Amino acid sequence: MSSMALFSPSSHLSTLSPSSHHTNHFSFRPFSSLRTRNPSSSSFFTIRATADNGAEISGASAAVAVETPVEQKDPEPAKAVLEEQNSLAGTNGSVTATEEVEVVSKFEDPKWVNGTWDLNQFQKNGSTDWDAVIDAEARRRKWLENNPESSSNEDPVVFDTSIVPWWAWIKRYHLPEAELLNGRAAMVGFFMAYFVDSLTGVGLVGQMGNFFCKTLLFVAVVGVLLIRKNEDIETVKKLINETTFYDKQWQATWQDENSGSGKM
Amino acid sequence: MASVALKTFTGLRQSSTEKPHFVTQTKGNPNPQFRRRFYVAAAKTSPKIAGRNLRVAVVGGGPAGGSAAETLARGGVETFLFERKLDNCKPCGGAIPLCMVGEFDLPLDLIDRRVTKMKMISPSNVAVDIGRTLKPHEYIGMVRREVLDAYLRNRAAENGANVINGLVMKLELPKEQNAPYVLHYTSYDGKKGGVGEKMTLEVDAVIGADGANSRVAKAIDAGDYDYAIAFQERIKIPDDKMVYYENLAEMYVGDDVSPDFYGWVFPKCDHVAVGTGTVTHKADIKKFQIATRNRAKDKILGGKIIRVEAHPIPEHPRPRRLAGRVALVGDAAGYVTKCSGEGIYFAAKSGRMCAEAIVEGSENGKRMVEESDLRKYLEKWDKTYWPTYKVLDVLQKVFYRSNPAREAFVEMCADEYVQKMTFDSYLYKRVVPGNPLDDLKLAVNTIGSLVRANALKREMEKVSL
Repeated sequence: MSSMALFSPSSHLSTLSPSSHHTNHFSFRPFSSLRTRNPSSSSFFTIRATADNGAEISGASAAVAVETPVEQKDPEPAKAVLEEQNSLAGTNGSVTATEEVEVVSKFEDPKWVNGTWDLNQFQKNGSTDWDAVIDAEARRRKWLENNPESSSNEDPVVFDTSIVPWWAWIKRYHLPEAELLNGRAAMVGFFMAYFVDSLTGVGLVGQMGNFFCKTLLFVAVVGVLLIRKNEDIETVKKLINETTFYDKQWQATWQDENSGSGKM
Repeated sequence: MASVALKTFTGLRQSSTEKPHFVTQTKGNPNPQFRRRFYVAAAKTSPKIAGRNLRVAVVGGGPAGGSAAETLARGGVETFLFERKLDNCKPCGGAIPLCMVGEFDLPLDLIDRRVTKMKMISPSNVAVDIGRTLKPHEYIGMVRREVLDAYLRNRAAENGANVINGLVMKLELPKEQNAPYVLHYTSYDGKKGGVGEKMTLEVDAVIGADGANSRVAKAIDAGDYDYAIAFQERIKIPDDKMVYYENLAEMYVGDDVSPDFYGWVFPKCDHVAVGTGTVTHKADIKKFQIATRNRAKDKILGGKIIRVEAHPIPEHPRPRRLAGRVALVGDAAGYVTKCSGEGIYFAAKSGRMCAEAIVEGSENGKRMVEESDLRKYLEKWDKTYWPTYKVLDVLQKVFYRSNPAREAFVEMCADEYVQKMTFDSYLYKRVVPGNPLDDLKLAVNTIGSLVRANALKREMEKVSL
């Protein structure tokens, strides 16, 4: 959950000087920071922000490399950032909470450049650190879920998850589970082969040429993939119910013809 | 998840063999009277009507009612078309597929705007342009319902239908076979703003085209359907902003906009319609509307809301769409697709199909009709359009269920092959079998997108901001 603070110009300045100070005042949101977004002049402020807070940004990106929180910056000196969750509102001194200006927040991150993750900033030992990209994107999406952002034609999002190579996903999500699945598949396969052999007398090599056995193999693999945990059986059942529900709704008309009753 | 996605596309191929609609009808049943003898044991050969033609009431003057009345009147049936408000502009997206213009012979000046570009915008604001594959003459027509409805009604009247400005209050079912149905209605003909005159009308058959709150459906105990609520604001935006929406429609997906549908910005004649819909969280519709407006914020900035509308959208057909000589069509029957929420074309089409069944069953109004004649309409309807509805239902279930699924959906829509397939099936209401290799590629890509998006979702659950 993001907790927001209301900033006034004075508190903003105070964050620039003593680095120990801001730990008290700011909620840490790695990779994201808030900015006031005045619709008419948003792009102007984007430029301003980088110009004004140049020192801060360089410090921030250094911090990002070791995945520590980035401090947020308020690019607009005059106006206060206003958000729904201003839990830290009281901690800052001169708070103008009465200001009823509608302010929309926009996702900001030094590595998020022109609507995509700047892969040059994700280099680690000479190659792109895809894990960090996935982390960053997950954070961005999480943030967007809580703070839906206006779409914009001037500032389009071009990041596409398919630029992350497939092995990065596999390495990250599949490997721990793969051991279990492989083991299970091997056992199922072995015993199936055993039973088929003992029942029909067709050996393992012979089975490979048999259509029926190939089908069994396919069933086993799909079964192992689908049913990883016991709860998965329920999920699959629910899914089947869900897919046939619409069919039943449509067929209702035809049932009263057969049964004579008008009701479903 | 993955296997479901795969099923979607194989389903799309196998089941969508829609034939040209009009050719089959006469061919399938060359001699209705002869066939009828064997049809249902209870039904007798229907008697000839002496001294007059078959009388049919069409309740509701929308696209379904209008096209039904036109077909009936053309077929020699004495037709009464009831509409309570002749200048009613219904809350409706107003999009019609290209094939409707040809099939219903609509004049081109009914179409306010020709949408040739669609933008799908994902929860994380990835925008994908759909429509690059459109040929120069292809477009999605945007109509105003008041204009379209009035045109179809007028055409029905020109063909001999009696258009009655009245509100049907009650439908009295006959006690004996072949006895007439009695419609009790309040007539507003002649005087505007008057109290109205209570009147009755005897008819031989009724087509219920009176929308989601259908009185006809209630009278025949047709049962209820789940419905989605659609909320729409018509916003007049500054001219310089309107340029962007000249021929472009936007669809927003995301949990913020709607948990089970999409939010839209559609261009209308001189303004845009911004709206959203939901089945599961109807109470939150205002919140979703604000979210939709927020997502389109910069593009509709400075707009003035000129009209606010809300409307129920059926989710599935009523349990009973037919009883005796009463049939339901259009929204009253529940013919709105999932996923896209399209209804105008299907309403008009079902109205026409039902009317054709009556004309044919009555031998151009010379004989009495019976339930088995009307059943033919249902049979044909389900056979023709069931695959379309089913595919869209599966699409909705797979891709609208969560934000990761929506991200995958938008990613998938970036593919030109997908765009071609979707537009072909939308514009022409038929699915041309695609290239199997492309289909396979598409399935693999879709699964890839879904897996990636869900993997990110798992990661998001771990993140605390």
